Amino acid sequence: MSRRIISLVIIAALLGVAVGSEVELGKIPREDPLGRELLYLPSPEMLKIMSLGNSGLVADILYLWSIQYYSGFKPNERFLYLETIYNLITDLDPLYFDAYRIGALIMEIQTSGDQVRLKETVRRLFDKGLENLPESWQLAEAAAWDLFMRFHDQEAALHYAEIAAVRPGAPARIDRMVGVWRDKEQAWTIDDSIEYWRRAVDDAENEYGRAMSVSHLYDAVTAKDRGALEAILAYYSERHESCAQSWEELIAAGFIGEIPLDLMGNPYGIDSSACTIVAFKKIRDQ
Amino acid sequence: MRAIRAIAVNTFREAIRDRILYLFIGFAIVMVISTKLFGMLTVGDESKIVKDIGLAAMQFFSMLIAVMMSMLLISREVDNRTVFNILSKPVRRWQFILGKYLGLVAIVAVNLLLITVILVVMVLIYTGQFDPMLVFAAFMTMLEMSVVAAFATLFAVLTRPILGSLMTLAMFVVGHTSADLWMLTRHLPGTLTRAVITVVYYLVPNLERFNFKTEVVHDLPIHLAAVGWAVVYASAFVAVLLFLAALRFQTKDLK
Repeated sequence: MSRRIISLVIIAALLGVAVGSEVELGKIPREDPLGRELLYLPSPEMLKIMSLGNSGLVADILYLWSIQYYSGFKPNERFLYLETIYNLITDLDPLYFDAYRIGALIMEIQTSGDQVRLKETVRRLFDKGLENLPESWQLAEAAAWDLFMRFHDQEAALHYAEIAAVRPGAPARIDRMVGVWRDKEQAWTIDDSIEYWRRAVDDAENEYGRAMSVSHLYDAVTAKDRGALEAILAYYSERHESCAQSWEELIAAGFIGEIPLDLMGNPYGIDSSACTIVAFKKIRDQ
Repeated sequence: MRAIRAIAVNTFREAIRDRILYLFIGFAIVMVISTKLFGMLTVGDESKIVKDIGLAAMQFFSMLIAVMMSMLLISREVDNRTVFNILSKPVRRWQFILGKYLGLVAIVAVNLLLITVILVVMVLIYTGQFDPMLVFAAFMTMLEMSVVAAFATLFAVLTRPILGSLMTLAMFVVGHTSADLWMLTRHLPGTLTRAVITVVYYLVPNLERFNFKTEVVHDLPIHLAAVGWAVVYASAFVAVLLFLAALRFQTKDLK
């Protein structure tokens, strides 16, 4: 056997030992070493200095690492030092939109632990992002939806939606979202809703946005009309011991002067079995 | 002028024949292209990662080329005694230093151009848009490297190649942290310490003045005055450093 072949065999054998050792090492269970390493994370100031003008790159590396690291957790596990890591990333690169957005999403995955504290943590990250990205309506909208969908916190959701709505470039749909959520609040009256949606119709940027706003305005106006007209129907029923079958009966009895029309100019109907009014909502055909 | 140009052209030719240059350029290109892999690992804006890594590679490998090549190019001439051939012709010593420096800057510029083209293409692939700010970032990196190369040239004249390389690397690190030194003065109690640090701050170039990476990556506005003053700042430092290098080389015993 030539020396070359012997050398190759030796190299292959040594490489085999190295690969085999690695496989065996991988089988030995270890306690989460990364979690412990997180205890010794340097401060953002120190990392900034060490990065020699590349703090954005260090933020990227930490962000990439965090995605890989935390994706190994199960939702019912406690995610270690999540807020610390995302604070560090966003201190290194305060304009890193994805770090705020994805950081909050990772936080929201956790289903165990104190959910109130978790919500506060998520809000702190969003608040930091909104302060550092004063022109981002996208982050404020994301915060609104996360608070609404994940934590069912209507008030907080409305707070973020209102921030999103006034930011430059925010689409009209956010204004509509604010209106819908306000409609669900007790303090928000129907007249407030009507005024809000009238303004949204006037400010709509395109036909789709206008149609959506008109739809909400229709609902608000109908809700107001329903209150007034159903009171008249109830009064009529009390006097005649049966519900009116048509508006003509009410006109004949002198309760109303003319057939009531909805926002689009179409007459409301009467459901005499329930003694309520019926709205035939048709927005698109108008 | 003709002598300076001849030395610069020869320095450039000599450098592009050096394998170590291709090693650095190769690493830089592989790093920029591999940003695709990093981009795949992220969630969200991939182009940010591509730009961050590309700009860091641009800076890091340009710095390595500037440091290594300046040391090799000047020490080789002295060690191989070819410097005597050059200086026996109507070439002044300061012209030799200036020519060497300009040749070095040309090498760094070519390297930067290559990395910038690849980075621009990578970003074009990701975003479908040409980002002219990357060219601006390359220009600012070139300014930074012109200062680093001037330091490398000075140290190449002052000391041995390895020590000179280490000193230039140290200047690069200090240059990027000097702003933090300046911040430190606000927390120091003694006026003397504060005065010393202030002097050090002004004597060492603040290389962060050429760092517009955040603005480039996040598409932030850039003040023209900041760019203009950065050019003046770099030119002044280069002039001072080359003047010092020429002064030392004038009296240096080359035997």
